[in-house]
Amino acid sequence: MLSPERLALPDYEYLAQRHVLTYMEDAVCQLLENKEDISQYGIARFFTEYFNSVCQGTHILFREFSFIQATPHNRASFLRAFWRCFRTVGKNGDLLTMKEYHCLLQLLCPDFPLELTQKAARIVLMDDAMDCLMSFSDFLFAFQIQFYYSEFLDSVAAIYQDLLSGKNPNTVIVPTSSSGQHRQRPALGEASMLEGVEAALFYQRLESLCDRHKYSCPPPAFVKEVLSNVQRLTFYGFLVALSKHHGINQALGALPDKGDLMHDPAMDEELERLLAQVPGLVNPVTGSPEASSLPSRTTPRVGSPWRPLHHTRKMDAESDGSTEETDESET
Amino acid sequence: MLPGKYRAVSGRAASNVNCGLHLVIQTSSLPDRNKVEFRLSKETPSFSGRLLQHDLERNYSSRQGEHSSLVSSSMPAFPILHRSTEEKILCSDRLTLERQKLTVCPIIDGEEHLRLLNFQHNFITRIQNISNLQRLIFLDLYDNQIEEISGLSTLRSLRVLLLGKNRIKKISNLENLKSLDVLDLHGNQITRIENVNHLSDLRVLNLARNLLSHVDSLSGLDSLTELNLRHNHITFVRDVDALPSLQRLFLSFNNICSFDSVCCLAQCSSLSDISFDGNPIAQEPWYKHTVLQNMAQLRQLDTKRVTEEERRVASVVAKKEEEKRRESQKQSLLKEKKQLAIRNIARQWEQLQQRRGSEATGPERPGSPSAAQDVSQAQGSGPAFPEEPGSPDAPPGPALADTHLVEVDGDTLSLYGAGALECLDRSWSTQTAGTVTTVCFTFIEFDDIVQVLPKLRMKFPNSLHLKFKETKLVMLQQFNALAQLRRIDQLTVDPQGNPVVSFTLWKYYVLFRLSHFSMQKINGTEVTQNDMIMAERLFGILAHVASSELPQYRLISILGDARKKQFRYLLDAKGKRPGLVSEDASDSRRLLTENTNRATLNYSTRDFFNERLEEIREKKQLCRAYTEGLVQEAAGIHTKAEALQRLWPQMFIELVRDAVVDIRSKDAFMKLSLQHIAQQK
Repeated sequence: MLSPERLALPDYEYLAQRHVLTYMEDAVCQLLENKEDISQYGIARFFTEYFNSVCQGTHILFREFSFIQATPHNRASFLRAFWRCFRTVGKNGDLLTMKEYHCLLQLLCPDFPLELTQKAARIVLMDDAMDCLMSFSDFLFAFQIQFYYSEFLDSVAAIYQDLLSGKNPNTVIVPTSSSGQHRQRPALGEASMLEGVEAALFYQRLESLCDRHKYSCPPPAFVKEVLSNVQRLTFYGFLVALSKHHGINQALGALPDKGDLMHDPAMDEELERLLAQVPGLVNPVTGSPEASSLPSRTTPRVGSPWRPLHHTRKMDAESDGSTEETDESET
Repeated sequence: MLPGKYRAVSGRAASNVNCGLHLVIQTSSLPDRNKVEFRLSKETPSFSGRLLQHDLERNYSSRQGEHSSLVSSSMPAFPILHRSTEEKILCSDRLTLERQKLTVCPIIDGEEHLRLLNFQHNFITRIQNISNLQRLIFLDLYDNQIEEISGLSTLRSLRVLLLGKNRIKKISNLENLKSLDVLDLHGNQITRIENVNHLSDLRVLNLARNLLSHVDSLSGLDSLTELNLRHNHITFVRDVDALPSLQRLFLSFNNICSFDSVCCLAQCSSLSDISFDGNPIAQEPWYKHTVLQNMAQLRQLDTKRVTEEERRVASVVAKKEEEKRRESQKQSLLKEKKQLAIRNIARQWEQLQQRRGSEATGPERPGSPSAAQDVSQAQGSGPAFPEEPGSPDAPPGPALADTHLVEVDGDTLSLYGAGALECLDRSWSTQTAGTVTTVCFTFIEFDDIVQVLPKLRMKFPNSLHLKFKETKLVMLQQFNALAQLRRIDQLTVDPQGNPVVSFTLWKYYVLFRLSHFSMQKINGTEVTQNDMIMAERLFGILAHVASSELPQYRLISILGDARKKQFRYLLDAKGKRPGLVSEDASDSRRLLTENTNRATLNYSTRDFFNERLEEIREKKQLCRAYTEGLVQEAAGIHTKAEALQRLWPQMFIELVRDAVVDIRSKDAFMKLSLQHIAQQK
């Protein structure tokens, strides 16, 4: 904890690096917004809850995009939440359009911008036929790269453009036939057009970018790995390679490996439990068993001091109807 | 012994006739009493003597009778008829030959003054041998076997021609019978009325029981007063108005199916007696009234007198018909206007969409071009809308304006255009509101609809089926908003104008989010158990995450917002009746418990969301300032602490050194200390 590097940083830099202030501000803001509700059960509890959820990664659910984008941890949490919630869609084998994925994203974040999804789709589709259907895993990994490293990627794009147009006097772009492209479709006019940039040169520039970049960027070692495999590559080829790289994925830590993408035993269990209650869904009265599943999960957190039923102001103080259900199911 | 006057003289007979068959009347075996008498009158009993037919069949050439009055001839010859002069004088102008089993018309000799001739009930096949009877006025050939009208060309004075019950197929050869007064052709096989146009004196024409299929070519019959067309196959009647004198027209038992087919009768001002019974039109419910209405001059219909009462009733019915027609015209006009309005709204909608699309960020949304106009109600709601006696509001006819349209049609409430949503503010009678089960939204933005959903729920509690067309449903999230309704059985989202339908998963999402409604149909297809399971499978984890993994305060805040809005609205609407309020509250609580884990999935329109973010911004700034203050404080303290850490050893050493230095010479220190104490005093 008291590692020398940590103590070596001056205060503000340390705080900034860990984004502590973001969370503090957000916590205080949330407190302000819901002060009537929270004041009932104590501020200390609130802060505990809040930072617990930050640790667990559930704090970004249904929050506005500016918050989700604020810190790398938020972004990673969001990715993970998206994966967990919609893994079933992928498991079902449905291929969806970019717009539909965007819709799913919006379910979790109402004002998620379309551009990001579009960019992610472009990675998958190699900037071609934007209406094409994409599989869940393809999209998810591409989206991960795009979202988590979005600023980095912007800079990379700029560098790429520079290199392509030969602005850097050091560059000598030798037209060769394309090779080692991570393309999924035959490229257009391979022989005639200039294909991508030289990998080595590209890497040099990227390295210097990584050093001075204040936003997160992929571990340089992995970038080097990606770039060392090929002679030349295009921008999207590079991105696709990044998205498919296991090491980067693991370094991010948000999503499991591609092979395990569909596996989540805990959630599957939960799902089975929910499904078992579906026949009862026909009759809304018996829909309560679903709600009763809540208390079983939430009892560890919903202790007695939490009961918002003490709210006398709100008459529809179900807030969490589960508490009511608990009573009913217990009797 | 045959009296001499009946002697047949073959020679003379032979010279008198043109062709052949000589009739020999032999009454030798007859007793004297049974004289052959010839009288021509309609009531003449049949001839009691030996029938001529008997004699006719004989081949006279071979016959040798007792009298040498037989005539032999090699050619077939007509029987010749002779009467005694006595007879002739008795009834010189009448001759009855009915039921004589005649197969041909006999040659009637020496009867040039004959005026009436009766051949009823025979077997005559051709009209012949009567050309010499040029004074003939009355010719009766009823019930024979005549197949063609012929042989009448010399009978210029003929006035009555009775050819009923024959086998005549065509009306012809009547050219010279210009004085014909009565023409009876009933019971024949005539298919067309023709060749009668010159009979300007004809008064009665009987064509009953023929094969006529239509009536025309009746011009020229200026004197015709009675036309009998019963028992034919007539389907339409024409030219009857060209008969200026026609008074009685009998069309019973034909095939007239519509009043149009006999429309010419309306112009026939002379008609006073008509019959249509046995026709299909006579079965129609207002047959009598229609006839009476169109033919005011009628005195008898179907052989029954037309009373004033009936006429009055007929006119009343006709007026009602007129009104109905006018009403339906109005209806169709209204419908047209409605269509026009809808098209107008559609056009505006498109324009709006284009404008929105071309705007970069759309800071100010252009409202509908024309200012909100008063909802003008169409006058005179048609029979489709239930009349509501005593309701303070006008009956809900289609409310038309340029920018929106509200229509209640039985159980469907249709709203076109954004302005139509205001209609939910109107007070609706409970009857109308109760019958509405389907609500259609067209050309309205879904975001606008979301805001009136609570009102919809209140005002139309029985609405079970929602339809959306051209409502810009683009996100799955928008369906979350429908959860606040009371119940939805069916949902129809038209692909036109609703991009969300192109998503693969939209139906499952709807089923998942609105599972507590247990919807039965989506876009017309039944919802199966498999669909529900699939929906749960796809999105169940989302629900789980959304409910159980949210921190408590988030749950409250999310649910609280939604519930607060509803609650506030309920308060406003119901007045401050606490009892009712708690009912609704418990109702919403109940609803909530049905699907707690989905309740956090809400939809707030973009505007609303942005508004909230705006509101929070101030708070955020405050928070930031506060946190910064905290940080500064903490940093300050930390710096000071660090500085202290850094400086402390030195300070400590100095303190120690100073002390040691001070105490090095004990005496000097003691003196110094005492001085200090003394000074302090």
